[in-house]
Amino acid sequence: MLIKYEFLKILRKKSTLIVMAVSLIFTAFLFGLPIMQYQTYNQDGVIKGAEGIDYQKRQYSDLSVFLSEKYINKTILGVQHLFENSDNVGYDGNEQFLIGDAYWNAIAPREKLLNMIAKTYDSPDENSGYNKLRDLDVTNGVNFYQTMKSKIDSLLNAPSRELSNEQKEYWSSMASRVDTPLQYGYYEGWEIIMSSFELLMFAILAICIVVAPAFSGEYQAGTDAVILAGKYGKTKLITAKIVSSFLFGIFALTLHIVLACGLPLTAFGINGWNLPVQIANTTIPYPFTFLQAALLSICIIYMILLAMISLTLLLSSKMKTPYLVLVVLIPILFIPMFLTPNGTTGTYNLILFLLPYRATMPEIGKYISYQFGSLVLDAFSVRAILYAILTIIMLPFVRLGFKKHQVA
Amino acid sequence: MELQLQHLSKRYGTKRVVDNINVNLKPGVYGLLGANGAGKTTLMRMICGVLKATSGDIRLNGKTMQELGEEYYTHLGYMPQNFGFYPDFTAREFMLYMAAVKGLDKKEAKLKTEKLLNMVNLYDVADKKIKFYSGGMKQRLGIAQAELNSPSILILDEPTAGLDPKERVRFRNLISDFAKEKIVILSTHIVSDVSYIADTILIMKNGSFLLQKPMTVVTEDIKSKVWEVLVDERTALEYSKHFSVVNLHHENNMVRLRIVDENAPTVDAFTVEPSLEDLFLYYFGEDAQEEK
Repeated sequence: MLIKYEFLKILRKKSTLIVMAVSLIFTAFLFGLPIMQYQTYNQDGVIKGAEGIDYQKRQYSDLSVFLSEKYINKTILGVQHLFENSDNVGYDGNEQFLIGDAYWNAIAPREKLLNMIAKTYDSPDENSGYNKLRDLDVTNGVNFYQTMKSKIDSLLNAPSRELSNEQKEYWSSMASRVDTPLQYGYYEGWEIIMSSFELLMFAILAICIVVAPAFSGEYQAGTDAVILAGKYGKTKLITAKIVSSFLFGIFALTLHIVLACGLPLTAFGINGWNLPVQIANTTIPYPFTFLQAALLSICIIYMILLAMISLTLLLSSKMKTPYLVLVVLIPILFIPMFLTPNGTTGTYNLILFLLPYRATMPEIGKYISYQFGSLVLDAFSVRAILYAILTIIMLPFVRLGFKKHQVA
Repeated sequence: MELQLQHLSKRYGTKRVVDNINVNLKPGVYGLLGANGAGKTTLMRMICGVLKATSGDIRLNGKTMQELGEEYYTHLGYMPQNFGFYPDFTAREFMLYMAAVKGLDKKEAKLKTEKLLNMVNLYDVADKKIKFYSGGMKQRLGIAQAELNSPSILILDEPTAGLDPKERVRFRNLISDFAKEKIVILSTHIVSDVSYIADTILIMKNGSFLLQKPMTVVTEDIKSKVWEVLVDERTALEYSKHFSVVNLHHENNMVRLRIVDENAPTVDAFTVEPSLEDLFLYYFGEDAQEEK
């Protein structure tokens, strides 16, 4: 009963409706932007928006294949063959590339795939395009998956990463669980979603704005005296406020996520949900499909949300007005946005990857790990544990804050 | 039913807002009078358990508030001064919410809500949002919520503040209806409100009780200290500077003054029957004049 009325209290406020409407519109805009701005090219020029998406999808329809060594070999030889005809080759003084029909018919429709294959053969500090394939020696086979493994090993052993042996072992072991050969296909919608999760921070802020008055709103309105003098004012009511805030937060974030994922998936299609994330970058160690990676990221965002709600409630129980709560909360949520990591190791970076804004980014290709003695955990695990602990630790203080509140 | 306040004090730094209050309250209506800042609201908040006393005990039937825990609050109905409502709730929703806070079960909550909304004459507008209510309607809703759990202790802090005379009469009658077999503590500085319904008067000044007496005998102390005199306007002005003038009434070119003082202001002055307002002025002098 109390939960119902506390939930109703949140929903009935005009400010709740306004903040949520603005936040949903903003989220729709942010996640809709890649759709509106989408453009691809063919020989006739630029194709924009939905037409461009349709065109690209058609191009990819022939690329839903297993990337077997044989297929990759054939693909590389095909590119090398095109380079053999000098009429197909252009030169900008720096590098050679394919031009004319050779480019538009054989490269453009699958350039993303060719780039991915080429990058696998790059050294860690290189970033080549499909034209790298021209010079690859494949007489003894392409050894694509061996090269993929070697590149991961090189990345793990790079001195700049400062990874311990345990951490290297952790990531190597994880990467070895990736199923090969990789299945390729169209995954544009998922790529947009995976690269935009941090934009949900605005939704988290909006939710915190809505729950900020949970306790401080009572102090401000002068209703604290009457509810604290009720039988359950210092006990069950606090639980009801916490539960209703969490329920609202989960409900509101779900709406945002449905919108955020729904827009790209409606425009680009759900194709790619079951494809391995390695087709976007072969050095990603996680043996996940795009759907699994997205779900895991979403779970972490929910955990961040719960911890941020707990923090908001804690501040709300201690502060006289919701505005003061937001004065403290907004910097906590948004200062990390302006801090840039300068690597993936060191205390500064490791803390930064755990702060609310950065923690919403999946960062699945960065080998971010935390070592506690001999125990190695990846960023997902540490974020999940950290935010669960923060949520649990703060709740008793929320209770105490309101229980000990003195009406003065 | 006995509510005991024992050596109850509240200090903010070195300032004693409530200073060693000792009183045993039995069922009846207690009119708590005092100027602003006398400590009335602080005392009431301590009784309601929303403000911690610096020292002393509050006991209900011999048990301290701490010993009774949640049970203490089941005996309590509180209408704080200027308390806020949830503007987007209807009166019915607000009552059901407060019933849940007070631990009433669903069925009882519904029954009591309907009954009380009827009693306070808000039944017809029970589904209207509170933000559209007038001040008087909000005050009536305030007392209705205080009565939800049929409390044996009803604390009403300035319940008639801001109401027009008609609303105040209606409100006084409501309090009388609710007061049966309860300890009702009614704080106000509108003296006439308590003079009609209080059984006992508690006068508070600087955090302490100056006087605790039954309403019937409360003015005895100032019998022969309330004077009336008819003087010219210039003398009236002069008297206003030197005496506590309760009332001033122009009659042709003369002014009739009602003065509270130990001695007759003039040989022409004659004593009159003292009222509660006279008593209030007697104790609070200029403080009370300012409030009036």
